[in-house]
Amino acid sequence: MQPAPDLTNCEREPIQWPGYIQSHGYLIALDVQLLSIVQVSENCGNLTGQSANALIGRSINELTIGDLPGSVLHNVLTVALRSGKPELLNPYRVDIQGNTWQLLVHQHDNALIVELEPAQTDAPSEALSTQSLLSQTMSDIQRSASLSDLLTRIAPTLKQLLGFDRVMVYRFGDDWHGEVVAEAREDHLVPFLGMHYPASDIPKQARELYKINLVRSVVDVREPRVAIVPVNHPQHNRPLNLTYAQLRSVSPVHIEYLQNMGVRASMSISLLNRGELWGLIACHHYEDARQIDYTTRQSAVLISQVLSSAIEIRESDETAQYKASLLAHEQTLYEQMLTDWDVAQGLTKHSTTLLDITTATGAALLFEGQLHTMGNTPTPDDITALVDWLRTTTTERVFQTNQLPNLYHPAELFRQTASGVLMVVLSREMNEFMLWFKPEQIHSVSWGGNPEKPVEMSETGEVRLSPRKSFDKWTEEVRNRALPWRQEEVATTLKLREDLLQLVAQKANQIRALNEQLRLAQEELEAFSYTVSHDLRSPLSSIKSYTEIFLEDYGHTLPHDALPILDKVVKATDRMSLLIRNLMDYSRTSRNEVNMERLSMQPVLIQLRDELLADAIGRKLTIRVGNTPDVYGDQSMVSQVFSNLLANAVKYTQAVPQARVTIDGHGNGTEVIYAVTDNGIGIDMKQAGKVFELFQRLDSATTYEGYGVGLAIVKRIMGRHRGKVWFESNPHQSTTFYVSFPSHLS
Amino acid sequence: MIDILYIEDNPDEADVFRRVMSRMDPTPSFTILTSGSEAIDYLLLKGSHLGTTSPLPRLVLVDLNLPGQSGFDVIQQVRATSRTRYLSLVVYSSSDNPKDIRRAYDLGANAYLIKPGSYHDVTSMMRRAVEFWLPLSL
Repeated sequence: MQPAPDLTNCEREPIQWPGYIQSHGYLIALDVQLLSIVQVSENCGNLTGQSANALIGRSINELTIGDLPGSVLHNVLTVALRSGKPELLNPYRVDIQGNTWQLLVHQHDNALIVELEPAQTDAPSEALSTQSLLSQTMSDIQRSASLSDLLTRIAPTLKQLLGFDRVMVYRFGDDWHGEVVAEAREDHLVPFLGMHYPASDIPKQARELYKINLVRSVVDVREPRVAIVPVNHPQHNRPLNLTYAQLRSVSPVHIEYLQNMGVRASMSISLLNRGELWGLIACHHYEDARQIDYTTRQSAVLISQVLSSAIEIRESDETAQYKASLLAHEQTLYEQMLTDWDVAQGLTKHSTTLLDITTATGAALLFEGQLHTMGNTPTPDDITALVDWLRTTTTERVFQTNQLPNLYHPAELFRQTASGVLMVVLSREMNEFMLWFKPEQIHSVSWGGNPEKPVEMSETGEVRLSPRKSFDKWTEEVRNRALPWRQEEVATTLKLREDLLQLVAQKANQIRALNEQLRLAQEELEAFSYTVSHDLRSPLSSIKSYTEIFLEDYGHTLPHDALPILDKVVKATDRMSLLIRNLMDYSRTSRNEVNMERLSMQPVLIQLRDELLADAIGRKLTIRVGNTPDVYGDQSMVSQVFSNLLANAVKYTQAVPQARVTIDGHGNGTEVIYAVTDNGIGIDMKQAGKVFELFQRLDSATTYEGYGVGLAIVKRIMGRHRGKVWFESNPHQSTTFYVSFPSHLS
Repeated sequence: MIDILYIEDNPDEADVFRRVMSRMDPTPSFTILTSGSEAIDYLLLKGSHLGTTSPLPRLVLVDLNLPGQSGFDVIQQVRATSRTRYLSLVVYSSSDNPKDIRRAYDLGANAYLIKPGSYHDVTSMMRRAVEFWLPLSL
């Protein structure tokens, strides 16, 4: 038994000069000028009757290969060399001891490399014409609607044409791990479709070689390989470079790998996209050795090239289509935001959401202090913590990773939903972000068959394949990793960012314009009410004055019951005059500028008290002025506040035999609070909501003069001072109104 | 020489004023002008009063809300002219807006009276004003 192949050694193995060929053919390396033998495969001894070592240094002329005289070969090769492209000769048929061989020549590594391969003598149906291979391939290309459709069609076509048991299309990922994306197989074979394999299964130098030599075949893994002697090419001091040799022996590790899968013969065809290896068409044969005719292999090279250009076109088409579909969704999102005139709703509440502009499986929007999530996401707390970390980690407007847990360890806990993160900053200052999440890749793979199944057995109990080993390895590699973010996805999220920010700006401008309109309308209304109130005064004062004059001049001539009627006219003008005055006061509280200054309250309150006491002559009324801390505010407005509060206190204690009003203030560092307390009728708390409303009067106050303006003025003035007003009342016992002014220490 | 120049555009106010004056003893002499521009021409000897030598009144009562040049304009012009700079000038307006009051004083008004809107109240207010200002304005 050979030791188990260690796949990690593959990276270092010089597969282009293995020093061996496959055993079904012969290799002779000649000096290009002399046509003398430099190296031969060891099995050439069988053909020539001499030991391989004895052939070295001899001219090809002196040789007899079976019954083929060396001079014939010499002439053929001389002619081939003269053209400058000896491979144009291929394949050259020769008969050796009754068998037909194909002579294959190429010049490389300072040597003319001559290979002999048995010509296929199988049924003529299997001898495929280049034409039929190509025409089938072209028709598959033409009939396929998409790349995956093309690959799905091409696999059975090639299987039928090439006669392998299994034909797979294997596609490389960005990290060079591979996935079987299309497959045609004999019914009894276990499907490999959807299987993933680690990058180390096809090491780097193999991939490099596959870009040059587009078709390789292994005729029979059971046949031991044949050494080339001497080991080193004399000019290079290393084995002969077999990059272009048809018989090149593949790595023993690869042979072991094929054997583990039960493969007897294989062929692989490279698929390139823009000069880079895109994938492989891998053909497996299980029961027998299988040699594909040189001409057919050359056709396969053509197929490789035709398919590669088809892939190139389809890929760029599909990239363009993918991009277009993402952008179409982006446009939909933009229109939704516009229609709703709401960013969060437009992005999250319709059938098209943030999830549709990437391949993410989860998305989050942190906007205006709200977190919105869609699809599979970490918990809100996890997202918040992640955003905090991202804020400190990057200053860019976009951040992307496909292995978050390796950068941010707490993400280990939610790697199943968010191993990949794409974050787009909307506003750092406002803490507004968009995030997309991709799951750990292992959870996003759909497996052909049960990945936990250890080994696949044939009916006879033979081990048919061991992808399990590969699979474990791949699982290890993709832990904490998501599929990478595609360029098109990132570009689309940035487009959305631009649209969104533009909308936010438009919205801000619109609100600003609306505010301005509102302000103008308000100003107009204030000016209107002020002018109307003012202009109402003149006729009113005329009515009153002329009534008084009429009474003075003709009062004595009137019947005595006419006098009370005219008295009512005068009283009505007084009430209207008061109403107008109130209205003007109220409108003035918002029209006039607030001139903030430090106000000494003691003289203001004493004067107010004295005026009120003077008007209340005959009442048993006490007004006590307590502590009077300074207040920061507009002088006339502040005195209006206290004038209204004290006047109310005096008014609503009219019916109380011993009316007591106190005003007392105190500061607490952040604000100065004044309390005006009386023992009047008070306020039923059921009506508390109406107290500060304009023109609202409480049931209990209907017998008192007033229009429900005073406290509305107080509230408005306190609002303009960024202060507060509130009250508490125990009717007929104690009612206190509080006003608080911010202390402007700054 | 007249005692009072009253600048008032509202005929009712002017009418009440005439009556109040006529009931005083002694009755002050007065002139009523109905616009700010006219008052400025009269006081500063401009326009139709150019070249005349009408003597200055002892007291000017000026309403604020006037067509054309407002009461404020009158105060400003009067105070800016050397001939009238020290004239006794009292605002007589229905506005109780602190802004108006402050502006009037800032421009140089000697006093600010708020129209009481009643014949009786106007009578007592004018009596006090006349008693206060006329003897002083020599």
